Amino acid sequence: MSFAAFSPRTIIRERFVPMKLTAAGFEKVLKYAVMFRDGLVCTLSLSALTVILGFILALILALCRLGKFKPLNILASVYVEIFRATPMLVQLFIVYYVVFGGINLPSFRLFGSIRFDRFLPGVVALSLNSGAYLSEIIRSGIQSIDGGQTEAARSLGLSQGLTMRYIVLPQAIRNILPAIANEFVTIIKESSICYTIGVQEIMYAVAAVKGAAYIIAEPLIVATALYFCLTYPTSKIIAYFERRMNRGHKR
Amino acid sequence: MVTNGSLIRVIDLKKYYNKGAIKALDGVTVDVNRGDVMVVIGPSGSGKSTFLRSLNLMEQPTSGLIIFDGVDITKKKEQTPDGKWVRLNLDLHRQKMGMVFQHFNLFPHMTILDNMTLAPIKVKHIPQEAAEKKALELLDRVGLADRAQAYPIQLSGGQKQRVAIVRALAMSPDVMLFDEPTSALDPEMVGEVLDVMTELAREGMTMVVVTHEMGFAREVGNRVLFMDAGKLVEQGTPDDIFNHPQNARLQDFLSKVL
Repeated sequence: MSFAAFSPRTIIRERFVPMKLTAAGFEKVLKYAVMFRDGLVCTLSLSALTVILGFILALILALCRLGKFKPLNILASVYVEIFRATPMLVQLFIVYYVVFGGINLPSFRLFGSIRFDRFLPGVVALSLNSGAYLSEIIRSGIQSIDGGQTEAARSLGLSQGLTMRYIVLPQAIRNILPAIANEFVTIIKESSICYTIGVQEIMYAVAAVKGAAYIIAEPLIVATALYFCLTYPTSKIIAYFERRMNRGHKR
Repeated sequence: MVTNGSLIRVIDLKKYYNKGAIKALDGVTVDVNRGDVMVVIGPSGSGKSTFLRSLNLMEQPTSGLIIFDGVDITKKKEQTPDGKWVRLNLDLHRQKMGMVFQHFNLFPHMTILDNMTLAPIKVKHIPQEAAEKKALELLDRVGLADRAQAYPIQLSGGQKQRVAIVRALAMSPDVMLFDEPTSALDPEMVGEVLDVMTELAREGMTMVVVTHEMGFAREVGNRVLFMDAGKLVEQGTPDDIFNHPQNARLQDFLSKVL
């Protein structure tokens, strides 16, 4: 299966596909429920892994940018600027075709359905991208903490590392939680782009149903609903943690 | 009051900004002896805060020496008792110098108890139980034992500063540095903080205090330093400074603040 067969362009070009929503259409989609379930599992794993890897990368980038070592400052800045100034799709293709192009990845299936040789480049590209955005959020969070906090911690004999870990980061993360939540939701939505390299996530299921049953509107509606069911609870869960972390800040 | 040798020797300390265009400290030399309650006064911008903040290297001086307990902490290396040169661990020396700030700088995301036990546990590796026991004893001394589980925002300014003082004391420092500890307080809360500081002085704690509280300087200090334009202009006992000022700038300053 080449990606071209499922590219957004083919969807647009093939106008012969009925565009009307019908009950029969949804019944047809039901037959492919397994594909949507696998797609959902794939989108979830893709996003969850990206969130973890992207956050770790972002933390490293932010600390590099704020540290005293000039070459690392510059390196981190250049990285962030490049990844924020170029399209996600281009980055994804470079990672898939160029970076992983020469590497023979094992093609086993995660959870019995997700092709690892497509999944891994997808996770890497998404993580590299979201790491750049998240690092800017974390950086602003660290900079928003009053210098007096660091001074107080250092005056007690805490090292720079301990100060960062126990004093600055906990407060910084509380401040930037809404922005991080926003970025996590963005990752879930942007993971749909991985369908262009053949990652079998939700949009891949849409394309498969379109190809097999000649319907497009109904599977798209189902995909929309699935994405909403992923993003809405995510922001709600983070809002809950935000309230919990605010305990010390309200009377 | 016990006086047995100098604890901090400051020699020709300079702090320049903009390549010397601004001289925040312009050659200050002074000894802080054990048991001293040294009060630093002077007009704003005179460099007294910079001087205090240099003592534990919150400010990196441009030049000069700060010899704390026999070790020059402005250098990158220090000599061990057996004569070897090792990398200077500034954090280790800072543990022995408690600092109290104008704006308290309590950690807002931690309870009062956690504020006080963090450094003892993480830096000195004191067991949690022992650290909490000591913290509660200290809180009891400043009348705040019942607020151990409160968060900083739930306290008044005076309470916050009392907590900040005992948080520094929890590390059992050799000297306490106070950077205008009452300047950010409502007037009715100044007294409670000065009372704690007075008690601390009576117990023999070595203290360096930058303040505008002339009453405290007069009553509690045993030495008063007057700074102006980055220089140590005059120093002496409170009686010398307040009753027999020599320097014209000091006379002028006192006529405005007293």
